[in-house]
Amino acid sequence: MKHIGKYIHLWTKLTVNSFLVSLTSRLSAILFFIGKLLRFVFFGVFLIVLFSKTQGIADYTLMQGIFFFLTFNLIDTATQLFFREVYRFRQLVVSGDFDLVLIKPMNPLFRALVGGADPLDLLMLIPYVWALIFVGRRVGDITVTNATIYGLLLANGFIIATGFHILVLALAIVTTEIDHAIMIYRDVTSMGRLPIDIYREPLRSILTFVVPVGVMMTFPAKALFGFLSPGLIAMSLLVGGLFFLLSIRVWKYALTKYASASS
Amino acid sequence: MAKYFQIIKNTWADMMTYRLNFVLWRVRWVIQRLVVYFLWWAIFSQREELFGYTQSAMLTYILLSSIIGTIVLGTTTMSIGNMINTGELSNFLIRPLSFFRYFIARDVGDKLMNLAFSTVEVLLLFVLLRPPIIVPTNPLIWVWFVVAIAIGVVMYFLFSFLLGILGFWSADIWAPRFLSFVMMEFFAGGLFPLDILPTPLFALSQSLPFSYFLFFPLKVYLGQLNSAGAIQGLMIGLLWCIGLWCLMQTMWKKGLRVYTAEGR
Repeated sequence: MKHIGKYIHLWTKLTVNSFLVSLTSRLSAILFFIGKLLRFVFFGVFLIVLFSKTQGIADYTLMQGIFFFLTFNLIDTATQLFFREVYRFRQLVVSGDFDLVLIKPMNPLFRALVGGADPLDLLMLIPYVWALIFVGRRVGDITVTNATIYGLLLANGFIIATGFHILVLALAIVTTEIDHAIMIYRDVTSMGRLPIDIYREPLRSILTFVVPVGVMMTFPAKALFGFLSPGLIAMSLLVGGLFFLLSIRVWKYALTKYASASS
Repeated sequence: MAKYFQIIKNTWADMMTYRLNFVLWRVRWVIQRLVVYFLWWAIFSQREELFGYTQSAMLTYILLSSIIGTIVLGTTTMSIGNMINTGELSNFLIRPLSFFRYFIARDVGDKLMNLAFSTVEVLLLFVLLRPPIIVPTNPLIWVWFVVAIAIGVVMYFLFSFLLGILGFWSADIWAPRFLSFVMMEFFAGGLFPLDILPTPLFALSQSLPFSYFLFFPLKVYLGQLNSAGAIQGLMIGLLWCIGLWCLMQTMWKKGLRVYTAEGR
C-alpha cells in the first residue's frame, strides 16, 4: 500500500510539472487545443456525411457509428493523456540520460511511460465524455449489464493500449527508434475509428486477433449495443491480459540490451 | 548549380543516416495509405457507386493521392523555424548560398527519394490488391495533371516556408504547423474527395489553398473537369502561388530585420 502511495505521489508531482511546462506558452496551448478539436469535428463531419449518404454501414446506424468513433476517441485520448512521455523517450535513450532514470529508486517503466501527462488531452476528454453520454442516450435501449461490460472492455482497451506503448518503449531501447513506431501504432489503431466489422476479410480477422485494434476500440461499443457474445467478451479480457504480460516481458528483455550510449 | 546538386546528395545521405528510422517512415507511409484504401474498399463492398464516384474512380483517387502527396507534401522546410530560433540561420546568411534555393534543393532531394520509394510501394500494392484503376487516355489530361501537380508543389513549398519563418516572431512554431496539418488533412482531400462534402463546406474548401495540393490534381486526372474548369483551377492556383510568394518575400525581409541570432 505504501508502495502505491509513493507512486501516486510521484505521478502527481510529475503531472503537475508536465502541466506547467505545457502551459508555459498559452497561445501555443490554445492553438494545439483548437487543432485537436478541429480534427475531431472534421472526422465527425466526414462520418455524418458518409453514414447519411449510405443509410448506415455494415448495418450500423449513424448514431451507432458516431458512438464507435467517440469510444475510439475516449481510449485514444486517455492513452495520450497518460502516456505522452513515450513520445519524448527517444531523447532519453540516445543522450544516455536514461541512466539517471535507472539509478533512481523508482520503476524506470513508470517514469518512461507516465512521466509527463498532457493537460490538453485532459481538456479534450470533457467534450468526448459529454458527447458519449449524449449519443449513448440516443443509441437505443442500454441495460446496466451492457453498460458495465462496456466499462470493463474500455478498461481492457486501455490495458492493450498500455501494452502497445510499452512495446514501443522497448523498441526504443533496443533500436533508438520511436517516433515512427508510435505513429505506426496510431495509424493502425485509427482503423478503429469505425467498427472493424466494415472491413473485409482477412483484414477484419487481422484487426481482431493479430493486432487487437478491434478488441480495443470496437468491442466495447458492440458490448454496449448487446452485439457481443459472452465468449468474445471473455476472449477480449484474455487477449488484453496476455498482451499486457507479453509487453512487460519484452520490456524486461529490452532493459538488458540498454547500451547507455552517449552517457 | 553544382553546389545545389551537392545539397541534394547531402539530403539523401542525411535521410539514410538512420536506416531503421527511414524504413519505419516508409512502413508508416504504406500503412497510412492502406488505412484509407481499406476504408473505401469496405464502403464500396456494398455498393457500386457513391457520391457520384464509382469504386474504380474512388480507389484510383485514394491510391493516386498517396503518390501526389509524396511529391507535393514532402518537404524539409519544417526545420526552418527551429533554425531561426536556435540562431543556426546565421550560418546560412554568411555563406555564398541562397537560403531559399538551399531549401528548394533539399526539397528536390527529399521528394525524389520519397517518390522513388513510394512508386515501388504503390506498384507492389497494385500487384497485391489489384484495384480497378482508371488511366486517362487523353494526352491533354496528362498535361493539365502534371501542371496541376507542379502548382501544388510550389504552393505547398511557399506555404510551409511561410510557416517556418514565423520563427522570426515566435518560438512557438509547432502549434501553427500542427493547426495547418489538421486543416490540410481535411481540406486537401487526402482522405476523401472534397466534393462529397455538403455545399457550404465544399465552397469553403475551394476558398482555401489546401485543395490545390491534392484534390484539384486528382480531379484533373480523373477527367472530372472540362478544359475550362481545369484552366480556371490552374489560374487560381497560379494566383495563390504569386500571393504566397509576395507574402513570403515581405515576411522574410521583415523577419531578417527583427532577427537577433538568439542562441548563438
